[in-house]
Amino acid sequence: MSLSEVKLNTDCVVKEINIADEKTKIRLMELGLILGTKLRVENKSVLKQTMLVVFNSSVFTIKTDVANGIIINYA
Amino acid sequence: MRKLLLIGNPNVGKTTLFNSLTKSHEHTGNFHGVTVEEKGKLVNLDGEGWYIVDLPGLYSLLPFSFEEEISKNAILNNKDLNLVVCDASSLRRNLYLCLQLKELNINFKILINNYSYFKKHNNSINISELNRFFDAEIVDAKKCRFDKNFLKFKKIGLNLTYLAQILAKIKEKIKKSDSEIIAALNGNFAGFNPQETDIIKAELPALIQARYNFIDSIIKSVVVLNKNYVYGKSKLDKILLKPPIMFAGFLAVFFASIYFIFFLIGPFLSDTLVGILNFLLISPINNFLYSAANNIWIIQFFSEGVFSSINTVLTFLPQVCLLFLFLTILEDSGLISRMAYVMDDFLTKLGLNGKAIYIILMGLGCNTMSTLISRNMSEKNLKIKCALINPFVSCMARLPVYVLVASAFFGNLTYFVVVGLYLLGLLIALIMALILNKTILKTKSNNMLLEFPPLRNLDIKHIGVVVKTNAVDFTKRVFGVVVSVGVIVWILTHTNFKFAYTQQISESIMFFLADKIAPLFAPIGLNSAGVVCALIVGIMAKELVVSTLSITNNAQTNSALISSLTLAASPVHFTSASAVSFLVFILLYCPCISNIAVLRKEVGGFYTAFSIVSQLTIAYLTSFVFYQSILHGIKFAAIALIIIFVILLSIIYLTKRIKQHKCLTCNKCKR
Repeated sequence: MSLSEVKLNTDCVVKEINIADEKTKIRLMELGLILGTKLRVENKSVLKQTMLVVFNSSVFTIKTDVANGIIINYA
Repeated sequence: MRKLLLIGNPNVGKTTLFNSLTKSHEHTGNFHGVTVEEKGKLVNLDGEGWYIVDLPGLYSLLPFSFEEEISKNAILNNKDLNLVVCDASSLRRNLYLCLQLKELNINFKILINNYSYFKKHNNSINISELNRFFDAEIVDAKKCRFDKNFLKFKKIGLNLTYLAQILAKIKEKIKKSDSEIIAALNGNFAGFNPQETDIIKAELPALIQARYNFIDSIIKSVVVLNKNYVYGKSKLDKILLKPPIMFAGFLAVFFASIYFIFFLIGPFLSDTLVGILNFLLISPINNFLYSAANNIWIIQFFSEGVFSSINTVLTFLPQVCLLFLFLTILEDSGLISRMAYVMDDFLTKLGLNGKAIYIILMGLGCNTMSTLISRNMSEKNLKIKCALINPFVSCMARLPVYVLVASAFFGNLTYFVVVGLYLLGLLIALIMALILNKTILKTKSNNMLLEFPPLRNLDIKHIGVVVKTNAVDFTKRVFGVVVSVGVIVWILTHTNFKFAYTQQISESIMFFLADKIAPLFAPIGLNSAGVVCALIVGIMAKELVVSTLSITNNAQTNSALISSLTLAASPVHFTSASAVSFLVFILLYCPCISNIAVLRKEVGGFYTAFSIVSQLTIAYLTSFVFYQSILHGIKFAAIALIIIFVILLSIIYLTKRIKQHKCLTCNKCKR
């Protein structure tokens, strides 16, 4: 299973979304996590942990697949 | 009759609005996915019938879970009106669904709820500016009344510029009409071949991006947002979101509540209720019967068949109310989402995900209701697994049995026996989830996308309404199912094969039949015909177990029943060992007939049969281990557990081998 990754630029703005599961990727985008969204990680999570993130003034719990949480990379 | 659908994102207040408009008391909560099925009510307005429908929440017309599918189908099939309920705090995301409806030319009006909360945090919405794009108004879902204003819809044309660009791009590759492509972009792929479907799906990320760019251009002029505002975040989260604190805190609060409900205030309230019931209802009718009726069986029929059924079960009404009070506080506060987040990592290891915690918690109230909630899982195997483990969670209908039987044999230790039964049920549910995940129901996609609701102050009035609704439901159940089945049980236990009345229960039809099955239960110490009767009747509903025991032992009050259970001369009696075995069996076998019916609807005939067989097997084996261990000591328990462990490992190994064999031969994966 491939890794899921959301790449952020230095201002914590989403630059790239690579989610292994296409259905989950579409749903994440429908929730408003699109390119250009400012995202903040709340729980400083690492690999294989459920993430707590804030974007568009709302708090979300995100886990994208069985093997991994979601890696937030600061480019 | 015309139809009015209430649609919108999860947890925006659709059911609250439905309750206000229709004067209903449907279940609400501060959690994503409380409503999982369509609920409707006919309301008359100026001589015209309106069928108002509350739908499960959905974020988009591309469904992600089973309950979203239900809503999507209802919206696409509705020819009449739609009200889109939006939360002021998440208007941007809520407008995404509105834009999809606009694309499909679906007629709707926006109702913005929770505006006072939004405004309190220094945010605002310019509604007249929003009305340039959508027909929208601000409402308070709790105070709405169904009147003509709700039916005044303004059709506002919106130039969806982004859509034309996407359509043009797709039409270069696919020869279909605009409306067909728009329908496909919103999840209706009828008439599209796989290649065309892939082309459409490939355009979805760009379309979503374009939709949000369009929404942002609207939001810019409509919403003034405080920079520091984060919906769903609370200062308490710093403490609550630490797993050990949340986990220990929950267990401590839950078991303290059980103590409070069943051992501290509950008995006092029960005694008061019994006193009132006896004074107002049972004693006067009994006195009347003894003076008016000259036939003993008529007197016994009413006093034992009807009143003892009511008395022994209805006395648990205060406890049921207090238990629902606890669950409602948990639901309304916003704690469940936090528990789902905290528990997600642990539950993922068992093949579930954090959302399963809601199903488990609701199972503490009613297994049937929580089986329905398994719909809010996004993956089929996950949904089936949640539905299958749910019956092992101890529902409130089993509690009267625990309290009565345990207090007959364990005195001061009753509380610990009840807590132990709860923990045993949870443990077996989790082990079952793990085994299912390793064998026939491996989770394929275990994603969890959950929006955090804010922690809310408790609405005492709402909690009161929920508790009252559940109290009325419980009372109806007692007077309906418990009394009617109680009457049948009384007739069967007081009629012999010559169809004549008999006072000797051992000569009755019921005991004759139960006696034939009883030897099967000898290894678990439950080989008495009376106990077998109670277990059989218990499949209908667990409330019936206590009423059956009271009928067979001719006990008209709970204290009389408790003392009769310890007497060897009673038709139903236990030893300490058989009492434990009985309680474990009650905990683990089929909760009720309505649960079986809902299971069949949700997971199909095969998994329902599997569920029934596994529940009976697990109940029997666990009771066997407990019963024999009490009789033969801890060594027996250790050996039995090792044997069961080896059997489980063998099942997992064999299933994996069979799967591997299929994989090598069927070629499905290669395709």
